[in-house]
Amino acid sequence: MNFDFEEYLRRQSIRPVPAQWRGEILRAARAQPVASPWWREWLWPSPRAWAGLAAAWGVILLLTVTAPDERAAGGRGATSARQAFAMLQEETEIIAQLSVSEESRPAPPPQPAAPQPRSSRRLRQSVG
Amino acid sequence: MSSAANLERLYDEHAQALFAFVLNLLRQEADTRDVLQELFVKVARNPPLLQGVKDERGFLLRLAHNLAIDLMRRRAARDRNYEQLAADNGALFAATDDPDEEVFAGRLAEALGELPPEQRAVVHLKLWERLTFEQIAATLDISPNTAASRYRYAIDKLRARLRLLYDEIK
Repeated sequence: MNFDFEEYLRRQSIRPVPAQWRGEILRAARAQPVASPWWREWLWPSPRAWAGLAAAWGVILLLTVTAPDERAAGGRGATSARQAFAMLQEETEIIAQLSVSEESRPAPPPQPAAPQPRSSRRLRQSVG
Repeated sequence: MSSAANLERLYDEHAQALFAFVLNLLRQEADTRDVLQELFVKVARNPPLLQGVKDERGFLLRLAHNLAIDLMRRRAARDRNYEQLAADNGALFAATDDPDEEVFAGRLAEALGELPPEQRAVVHLKLWERLTFEQIAATLDISPNTAASRYRYAIDKLRARLRLLYDEIK
């Protein structure tokens, strides 16, 4: 019963698509410009600027590739670092010596007392 | 093959199936036309869309389904009640000379219109596109089990609704 029923439903044919739609729909579809890839739309507003940037990067890349061997540069760097470290050690020692000599110096004698105001002097004279 | 010729081939091979499916979903000829046009415009604008697609019909049905659902949501949110429209029964089936068949087709269209759109889509693809539940699942982006259960529920409703008339005709 169920199978027959489904077959009977299946036999009901749905009406055909209106004939005039073909021309109308295809015309509308053909009138649409083909969408360009996203990256082209992104680059499109200033293609010359992007080309210039790409050329600059190319030059940078070329210079990097043709630059002298990095290991040699690394050796030079290591030598100058050693020199800098030696200088730093020397400076540290000098500072240490200076601070030691500063601590061992005797304390300066106390400053004489500041002169009293004139009124006080007069009072002492009159009493004396 | 040029893109224009390819577009014509696509239309000739699949437009009838797409029309039937979308009309069954939307029940409005004007909306069905809008969806079909939108679909072909989309394909024309993106020729690589169908590159490497093994099952063209399945792919286009899926695209049509998504566009129809989008349209239903837009319109339903605005001013129309699509369930009511579906129940109002647009002319879905071809005219026939047999009066019994004519009556049955009319009742069937009404009964289909009373089904929820998701069940209607499964019934359409199973009965009129003869897809398997796996193919329906892929087209509607649901699991095969969901497709099968939706189909069973829908057929039970249709049978309950049309039993008397069916028995009479048979």
